[in-house]
Amino acid sequence: MNAVWSVALITFKEGIKNRVIFGIFIIALLLFAATTTVTTLFMRDIVKVAVDLSLSTVSFAGLLTLLFIGVNLFGKDLDKRTIYMVISRPISRSEYLIGKFIGIVLLALSVVVFLGLLSIVPVIMSKRFYYYTEAKFDWWIYFIAVIYIFIKLAVVSSIITLFASFTSNSFIALVLSLVAYIIGQSTESVRELLVSQVEKIEVSPILSYMVEIAYYVFPNISAFDLKTQAAHGLSINPSYIIWTALYAVFYMTIALAIGTLAFRRREFP
Amino acid sequence: MAVISFDKLTKTYKTGFRKKKTALKDFSLDIREGEVFGFLGPNGAGKSTAIKILLNLIFPTAGKAEILGSDVGEKEIRRSVGYLPENPYFYDYLNPVELLSFAGRASNMDSLKIREKTESLLNTVGLWNERKRAIRSYSKGMVQRVGLALALIHDPKVVILDEPMTGLDPIGRKQVIDLILKLKSEGKTIFFSSHILEDIERICDRIGMLVNGQLRRVIDFKKEKLIKSLEDTFIEEVEKAGGLQQ
Amino acid sequence: MHRSLIIPIFAISLALIGSAFTIDKVSSERTELRQKEGIGVVMPSAVARIAALEFKGILADVIFSKAMTYYGGKIIRQEKLIDEEWNWIYRNMDVATDLDPYFLDPYYFGAMTLAWDANKVKESNILLEKAFKYRYWDWTIPFYLGFNHFFFLQDNEKAAYYLMEGTKRPGGSGGLLPTLAARLSYQGKRTENAIVFLQEILNKTEDENIRWIYERRLNALKGILFLERAAEIYQNRLKKPPAKLDELIAKGIIQEIPQDPYGGKFYIDKDGSIKTTSELR
Repeated sequence: MNAVWSVALITFKEGIKNRVIFGIFIIALLLFAATTTVTTLFMRDIVKVAVDLSLSTVSFAGLLTLLFIGVNLFGKDLDKRTIYMVISRPISRSEYLIGKFIGIVLLALSVVVFLGLLSIVPVIMSKRFYYYTEAKFDWWIYFIAVIYIFIKLAVVSSIITLFASFTSNSFIALVLSLVAYIIGQSTESVRELLVSQVEKIEVSPILSYMVEIAYYVFPNISAFDLKTQAAHGLSINPSYIIWTALYAVFYMTIALAIGTLAFRRREFP
Repeated sequence: MAVISFDKLTKTYKTGFRKKKTALKDFSLDIREGEVFGFLGPNGAGKSTAIKILLNLIFPTAGKAEILGSDVGEKEIRRSVGYLPENPYFYDYLNPVELLSFAGRASNMDSLKIREKTESLLNTVGLWNERKRAIRSYSKGMVQRVGLALALIHDPKVVILDEPMTGLDPIGRKQVIDLILKLKSEGKTIFFSSHILEDIERICDRIGMLVNGQLRRVIDFKKEKLIKSLEDTFIEEVEKAGGLQQ
Repeated sequence: MHRSLIIPIFAISLALIGSAFTIDKVSSERTELRQKEGIGVVMPSAVARIAALEFKGILADVIFSKAMTYYGGKIIRQEKLIDEEWNWIYRNMDVATDLDPYFLDPYYFGAMTLAWDANKVKESNILLEKAFKYRYWDWTIPFYLGFNHFFFLQDNEKAAYYLMEGTKRPGGSGGLLPTLAARLSYQGKRTENAIVFLQEILNKTEDENIRWIYERRLNALKGILFLERAAEIYQNRLKKPPAKLDELIAKGIIQEIPQDPYGGKFYIDKDGSIKTTSELR
């Protein structure tokens, strides 16, 4: 455990001190500032628009952090061989991989906590500006949505870890992670579309099978998106919270287990 | 008992589809306790391959390597090993104190011990005043010195240095040599590779010459007096091996 | 000044003037080009839902505000929207509410403009029906649906049904909705009911651009109600309906005929009801 924790800590430190993170924070702050201006363009559902923008900003900043810093934290270790200073210690390859994953998750957590708390400001300002009486809003649901942004980022981190475990190049890991995120975010909608057939498209059975396979192989990231619920104060069933959280835990476990299996026999010449 | 032992070690790399390159062939060598062993050979002779197998960074194709009687695959044995990679590269945004604290923690040291060791080592390598600066602002020589401190933070019995002298100026080289001699006086076993032959006779108890992945000759300076200079002996061995292979 | 600096400084000053001049030209060219571009295509909902990834809410905001800006630009230039443009607005509101089916603004904007300005009550009701389903807590949606059925479709039964549904929702049981529902069964007071309805809608509207739509209609209805009452007095006094509005002035019942805010002229139809040549459009 000491080994895993020491890797997690140094990964987190290296990530949080990266200059890119300041750039990401500045983008986030600008988006928060824009929120207050943009909301004045709408008529009634102003709080909804503010919540949309604030939560999307938190999520977007988190994704940027993972894709540009998280992937790079693996990439540099493998490309520039900083991994030598880790593996030459009493640390196994599996411990290294899991420690790295925890470090990246800690990085995502700090981004979500910092920006999540900051995002309260534009939401409060928009509520002050105009609060339509028939609108619904609940801070509890808002914070559940923020927590779910973190859960989503943790799942994405596990995918990044999995891809980093067997790709030799950090750019390939970045592209694969991005593709996995997009597929994970859209399979549910595609599947829904194929089932409902509303658009009257001819669907070949092969396509249906491929979508089905993608749905089970890639994480259903859209399950962690509660922005609409937060924007309209729609209540969320406790069973939804339990099942999606369990799903996230199991998915991360699978991704990390496969990752450590692939990484165990990896050489660093 | 041998501190480090290579037993009929062979390592082949895949260099492409169905193409292979043999980096080490039937390599056997024992390093004794408390000695300074210089591992010499031209670039690409397989020195780094042998060292990386010792640190479990790569795995042997055949044969085995042991440190202090344990297989190198066992991670606990690396608690007693300090390692300086060739051209070391560390996390850009961290400073030496943070790196040493990681290394100490990873080797199960308590934080008080880490702090003491950090101060004394950074003073030894002359980086104490620069300790708050991020590594990316360091020169190559300074990075090398951070690497040395990292290799020694947990007070290892065995110190393995891959090309510690490369890329250093004469003053830096002298510092490394002094450090090796100091470690020897503390009773540590030192195994280092080099393609620079200067000063080798003065610091090493024994040397091994590796050419094209095969150990050509081991010279014990206590028993054997070289008739020719070390350079000439070295060139002779390379020629005997049929020149350098690519 | 050093001689080598002269050329770069000269070049920079020249380019600065040039760029200030051209950026002005570019913006006017763009304005012209964009006007010709017109409305453009609407992304189908299924595609939008997939392409938006997790940013469906924001895409809904963007689609809505783009259509609203287009509409606003037309209003400012005092141009009338053609049928094709109204269909485009309807489809945009439909897609925006498919992306976020709880989003009030596109329902509200779409339903109001389509029913009042475009005479597209069917499309307006389709949007409101969707809102009725998703915004299950919001009593104002059945209120607007009820109004559309009463006022545009003249289906009092359906209108009363929606108003009663509205009373079941929080905030909807307070006074007005039950009263309105009850009044609807009483056919005779059509104009008065419409005025009560509109007054309530107006009370709930803060947006100035939307308010004037209602205010204009309310003033027109008040004019009609005024004339209807005068015609009733005429009927009671002379035991026959007036044939022309001028007869009301001639008999001294009213002083003058009110102005139609839509620019038409009030008249008495063959069936005796008060109409206007503008048809309230």
